[in-house]
Amino acid sequence: MAIETPTKPTLGDKIYDALFHNYVWKSIFRTGYPNTPRNQMLVVATNVFLHLHPTRIHRTHVKITHTYCLGGLSFFMFLGLTITGILLMFYYVPSVDRAYLDIENIQTNVQFGQMMRNLHRWMAHAMVILVFLHMMRVFYTGAYKPPREFNWVVGVILLVLTFLLSFTGYLLPWDQLAFWAITVGTNIAGSAPVLGPKSRFWLLGGLQVGPDALIRFYTLHVIGLPLLAAIFMAVHFWRIRRDGGLARPL
Amino acid sequence: MATAVVARPVARPQARARDEEVLVWPDLVFIEFIAAMLFTITLFFLATVMNAPLLDQANADVTPNPSKAPWYLLNLQELLLHMNAAMAGVIIPSIWLGIMAAFPYFDRENDGQGVWFGTERAVKITIISGLVGIIGTWFLILWDSGKIAFFLNDWFGLSGGDNLRFLENVRSMQTQLPWPEWASDITYLPFNLKLLASDAPGGPTEFQNLDFPGWLVEQGIPIMAIVGLPSLMIYAMWKAGWVLTRRDALLALFSGFIGAYGILTLVGTAFRGQGQELVFPWELKVSEGIPGQE
Repeated sequence: MAIETPTKPTLGDKIYDALFHNYVWKSIFRTGYPNTPRNQMLVVATNVFLHLHPTRIHRTHVKITHTYCLGGLSFFMFLGLTITGILLMFYYVPSVDRAYLDIENIQTNVQFGQMMRNLHRWMAHAMVILVFLHMMRVFYTGAYKPPREFNWVVGVILLVLTFLLSFTGYLLPWDQLAFWAITVGTNIAGSAPVLGPKSRFWLLGGLQVGPDALIRFYTLHVIGLPLLAAIFMAVHFWRIRRDGGLARPL
Repeated sequence: MATAVVARPVARPQARARDEEVLVWPDLVFIEFIAAMLFTITLFFLATVMNAPLLDQANADVTPNPSKAPWYLLNLQELLLHMNAAMAGVIIPSIWLGIMAAFPYFDRENDGQGVWFGTERAVKITIISGLVGIIGTWFLILWDSGKIAFFLNDWFGLSGGDNLRFLENVRSMQTQLPWPEWASDITYLPFNLKLLASDAPGGPTEFQNLDFPGWLVEQGIPIMAIVGLPSLMIYAMWKAGWVLTRRDALLALFSGFIGAYGILTLVGTAFRGQGQELVFPWELKVSEGIPGQE
């Protein structure tokens, strides 16, 4: 039996130690760099963002064709929309006099303004599509079945919230496209029996799309609906863990 | 007497097979990272090559023709052309969302979860009912816009004459059938909570008149089509021995919905021109509604 003789630490070992075994790193991450199974599990369990996940999952669930990452990507779009949305809010004032000019200003005078607006718009479309595809994935893999019944219901609510988020954002550029799309859209809502005209009035703050509608849509778009969506998302993600992770054959 | 204890079919905790499991870091986190990067790069690329649209400033006096809702609501706008507005715009979508939310309370079986499709005939049911949704919806849209009668007439020289004119589209059933006079003037007493209160401020409920042919084309036939045709499809599939479980029935219903929803969105987006006329996508023009530039 050969006896292992200790070797001198290489330069790589020294850099590694300096980076990951120092006092500051350990105060932030508690674990070393996740290159051993123990550290890999610890990092998932002790990090507030990663602990959304369990430390281990069934091997079928890392197969890309099982979920196509659709739910995660929907959430990723939400995060991206929050970031680009906050940047757009720096320059945008939701008043009829300024809204359109502010959008033009963002596109022409703000560094990367056009880019931010483009990203925000295409991500919004992507989120609507991804959420819808995610619903189809969950349905066709039978993942709504017990014990995940309620999480499917939360998902349907999130689908509606996604539509509403997109719909309220549609008015904000205050161009012809926005104005008439929201006119048509709110007319559809207004045709409801009994509650229709009232809910249309409540949504628009008047009888037609005008300054009051703009401020209402803006408030709903930047705080009301995102807050609601975030709460339902928290429930949605929590329930995935509580209900035993992703569905798999019993 | 023995007390029967009926076990409720709940998911039992699964035995954890450690050798079947992988670590989230790196196996899952890596995939998530790649997916996020791919989307970030794709979206940045898209945002570089394609600008978000911005038309002229909003003007309540200038109506573009056609005026359209955001694309994901165009399915409802399309439905609106074929039936009563409240039904198409609010009642049907609300009821459908309720039905979808209730799926897991209808299909409570545990088996078949966590795998794509899951039952023996699931793929066949999905494809066939999806196609029924797609083709059926297209057919109904073509019929209701009078295009089928137009094709038969213009392309094949077939004409049913005046006696068959009521088959041209849904609306023509109201105008082209010899309805007796009383049919458009049926007196009825609407259900009203005021009936229950003897001293209601609005006074007694009044009798109202129902225009039966109008009701038939606006609400009766659309309800029959939307409730009846999917039911008929599922019934036929059950008779044919394809649909055996509640899961199968839901697969047929949901796939039919996806087909119909897709077609409604597509037609509303790409096939509706000025005045909401049915046109080919390459004929679609938008008039900005500016006087002198129509």
